[in-house]
Amino acid sequence: MDQFLFDTCWWIPCYGLLGAILTLPWSTGLVRQTGPRPAAYFNLFMTVVAFLHGLFVFRATLGHESQEFIIHWLKAADLDLSLALEVSPVSMGAAELVTGLSLLAQFFALGYMEKDWALARFFALMGFFEAAMSGLALSDSLFLTYALLEMLTLSTYLLVGFWYAQPLVVTAARDAFLTKRVGDVLLLMGVVALASMAGSLNFNDLYEWAETAELNPVVSALLGLALIAGPIGKCAQFPLHLWLDEAMEGPNPASILRNSVVVACGAYVLLKLQPILVLSPVASTALVVLGTMTAIGASLVAIAQIDIKRALAHSTSAYLGLVFIAIGTQWTNFAFYILFAHAIAKALLFMSTGAVIVTTSTQDITEMGGLWSRMPATTTAYLVGSAGLISLLPLGGFWAMREGVNIYWVDAPWLVVVIFLVNALTALNLTRVFRLVFLGQPQPKTRRAPEVPWMMAIPLVSLSVITLLVPVMLQGLSFLPSWDYFNWQTALPLVLSGAAGCLVGSTIYLNRTWARPIQAPLKFIQDLLAYDFYVQRLYEVTVVWLVSTVSRVSAWFDRYVLDGFVNLVGFVSIFSGESLKYSISGQSQFYLLTILIGVSIFGALLTFVLH
Amino acid sequence: MLSLLIALPLLGTLIVALLPEKHGRLTGRAIAFTVAILSFVWSVLLGFKFDAELTSLQFVENLPWIAQLGLSYRLGLDGLSLPLVVLNGLLTWIAVYSTDPDIQRPRLYYSLILLLNAGVVGAFLSHNLLLFFLFYELELIPLYFLIGIWGGARRGYAATKFLIYTAFSGVLILAGFLGVVWLSGADSFEYNPALAASLPLSSQFLLLGTLLVGFGIKIPLVPFHTWLPDAHVEASTPVSVLLAGVLLKLGTYGLLRFNQGLFPEAWAIAAPYLATWAVVSVLYGAFTAIAQKDMKKMVAYSSIGHMGFILLAAAAATPLSNLGAMFQMVSHGLISALLFLLVGVVYKKTGTRDITVLRGLLNPERGLPLIGSLMIAGVMASAGIPGMMGFISEFLVFRGSFPVFPVQTLLSMVGTGLTAVYLLLLVNRTFFGRLPDQFSNLPRVEWRDRIPGIILTVLIILWGLQPSWLVHWSETTLTAMLTGPGAIATTPLVTPSTTSPKTSLKVL
Repeated sequence: MDQFLFDTCWWIPCYGLLGAILTLPWSTGLVRQTGPRPAAYFNLFMTVVAFLHGLFVFRATLGHESQEFIIHWLKAADLDLSLALEVSPVSMGAAELVTGLSLLAQFFALGYMEKDWALARFFALMGFFEAAMSGLALSDSLFLTYALLEMLTLSTYLLVGFWYAQPLVVTAARDAFLTKRVGDVLLLMGVVALASMAGSLNFNDLYEWAETAELNPVVSALLGLALIAGPIGKCAQFPLHLWLDEAMEGPNPASILRNSVVVACGAYVLLKLQPILVLSPVASTALVVLGTMTAIGASLVAIAQIDIKRALAHSTSAYLGLVFIAIGTQWTNFAFYILFAHAIAKALLFMSTGAVIVTTSTQDITEMGGLWSRMPATTTAYLVGSAGLISLLPLGGFWAMREGVNIYWVDAPWLVVVIFLVNALTALNLTRVFRLVFLGQPQPKTRRAPEVPWMMAIPLVSLSVITLLVPVMLQGLSFLPSWDYFNWQTALPLVLSGAAGCLVGSTIYLNRTWARPIQAPLKFIQDLLAYDFYVQRLYEVTVVWLVSTVSRVSAWFDRYVLDGFVNLVGFVSIFSGESLKYSISGQSQFYLLTILIGVSIFGALLTFVLH
Repeated sequence: MLSLLIALPLLGTLIVALLPEKHGRLTGRAIAFTVAILSFVWSVLLGFKFDAELTSLQFVENLPWIAQLGLSYRLGLDGLSLPLVVLNGLLTWIAVYSTDPDIQRPRLYYSLILLLNAGVVGAFLSHNLLLFFLFYELELIPLYFLIGIWGGARRGYAATKFLIYTAFSGVLILAGFLGVVWLSGADSFEYNPALAASLPLSSQFLLLGTLLVGFGIKIPLVPFHTWLPDAHVEASTPVSVLLAGVLLKLGTYGLLRFNQGLFPEAWAIAAPYLATWAVVSVLYGAFTAIAQKDMKKMVAYSSIGHMGFILLAAAAATPLSNLGAMFQMVSHGLISALLFLLVGVVYKKTGTRDITVLRGLLNPERGLPLIGSLMIAGVMASAGIPGMMGFISEFLVFRGSFPVFPVQTLLSMVGTGLTAVYLLLLVNRTFFGRLPDQFSNLPRVEWRDRIPGIILTVLIILWGLQPSWLVHWSETTLTAMLTGPGAIATTPLVTPSTTSPKTSLKVL
């Protein structure tokens, strides 16, 4: 039995997919009599099975060497594409995180999406989403990883576009797909190049190859940049970050996953690629630079948002920026801690905002207030999630950031400053949102605000408990330092930065009526941050403009120059035929003359050529 | 055995054409349907009997015909033609099935469709240059009438344009074939890869150029493509399906069989230019597609872009890239057929194909939700999302071509990115959003409209998940084409490093 469960671990991603496929009769509307609920329950059941199966395999792998499963997929000419799976504590742990959060999010969705007519479609998409992510966690082949990343792109598109009749959703889904696709195509270039150079796409073979490969610096730089482009898109890092913000138009349960584990998938791929990225110092530098830019920029932008989901989504980009820094400086431990702590805390924060949204029917925080006494569980969840994210109390966020501060304290102090900044700004933002949503006077939309039903409350409370238990889990996996090695000198400033952020956040003047500052510089800064540093505008005048201009020019060229030429030739031949017909006079002398002239011209030409 | 593939549809043509007029509508359709099914089933059966391990031609039929001219009736099947023959059978069946039952002049229509099928199969099976040419021209006549009689408003213009272009391509191909045989002094037109091997390089180039333009018109390659968008826009849906799905493949088939196959030496020298030409085709097709407003025109330009990948792969001429070219032919055949079918349904129900007018068609109650879902699947397949056929074909093309032409391959990959742009815009504009009032009373979509699309989608996903079923048919032939007499020697710029013992084994 044990061995059987272990050998069939490749089923873990398949459960979600199976759930998605078997709910097709409901999601396509073939079965209407039962309503969409059976489909939802079936998907939920499949996720439970995947979670339990994964849990078993995870326990079995603890303390063992990692094992590899190879499924030969396509063998053609000199190409041997195999789908390799790695079963190790890390990969199984990642798969568990995915299926666990997916389980909670789907449970939450039972309540959140209760009145939606397309419930079955939503659950089918969630199953597909989960399948792609848990597959990604287990994948040990760059080919499979790439394929699954694209599946994630597709399912993000479909989930963001779930309410496709709304105009904002239409553009959000489009931007999410195209932005990620830019990263994916660049990644594909890297994959194809790597496949040609290394001969295999299994990570183990690639690592072996990377140890001895000698590449031209230009090639290795381009290769490295191409490989990090995919994760940049997935993790919503500058310059491919705007989709995450727009994607908040989608249903909240999908946002829970998107902000916690989906972005983490991109970083996970990057971690897998890290031994290959060592070949290219340019790529490592790019990771650190882009990570820093995103970490600080997104933290600042988050402060100016008034949409509750967007305010949190930007901080997701910021935390993933820290992960990028960690990977760029080859500190994978730090990256893993941040990913883990952030995924759980952020999922909780999004659940609690989901509860707020479903009760108040708005996402605008200026329309909220005074919810703390009406929705105690939601308020607690928000507080716990915030505490788990920033480093103020000894929860997940603190331990993760402490690791980073310890690492960079001596070698790269400026990175310590980045961590402090992200911590302080996130604390400020979370406090600001808390004050606007939960404190203060109730507004029209928050006056009648009962606590959410049990289907949402149960995952909310369970995840709150899990967030509180993150340090215990870290301790259990012996990731925490013992007290003897605990460095107060680095921990104290970290906590102080968090406290400073909270302090500023709780004292700044907040105006719910969205007053504009009178001073021009302040107004400018507010706009700059609220509109994401005008990056969207930047896209419009550069990439979008370029593509649309080139396409219009080529369409014009095609229509008028190429086709015009073709039509001209046709016209000329018809016209000359038509006009020659008037020379048919019926007089034989005229025909004779034509023949004579023709023959003499021909003869003249002939003699000319012969001489 | 192979003659049956030609004889069946020809017989069907005769029967349908000679039916009494009052039986044309139902009996004619039934006969055409049966014949299409039978020849499709027969081609699949041949596929099962086909021995994929053999490099030689199989099921060869050789009858002397006009020996003085060197024309013989020589048919044969190999890994290059088999998938295309099966594809042709499938799409002919789908075209007959998706034809409007109340079509005008049904007897003529169905007999022309069957005649077209016979012509295309004949061309794929011929192993005599003159015979190929005859079938190639035979296919042209029914298609001219199919566009010219059952087409849209400007059908006369489009049909004539198609006729002139393709006839010109036929003339060039004939000239090329005559040149090969005369210059090499062969005593018949029998196809033989070593036919042109003894020719001096200059005449090889001349002949290659002639044939390249001839087939380039058919594929079509930029700048010989302008007949295609017009023909597609004016043709009715089933004809568009056949045109994009099968007819264009005659060009790429010729590219592999008669250009790469006959002139390996000249091909290897011209390859870098051909690869660059492919890039131009890919990017030109993609960019022009972005600016289109008519859904059919957009899909037509996307065809131009996607056929460019085949030229790229053929230019690289590695075993893998040729396999990719083959795979791309089949996948493009299925995917573009799917897209044209769905656009046809949208047009039939809404009366327009203008993406600036259409909106919100995914509406679950009054729109076309299933058609929209299939459209999303088709679009994703065309944009190369893994799990579907488009991805693996493009991956094979790129992976096969990259070692030989890294820069051109990377530029072509930009083309796949752009494919996502225009096809996503198409879906986003027409299917997402709120359904306007003017489309709130759309006619019901019947299962007859959906079934062909569903079948194609299933096939696209199936072969996307299990490509080895298709690869297995063609691999031996395509590898043999490159290692046979006078094989091409393109030099890879990137070679797998043999440093690690594990990988070097695989490479060797």
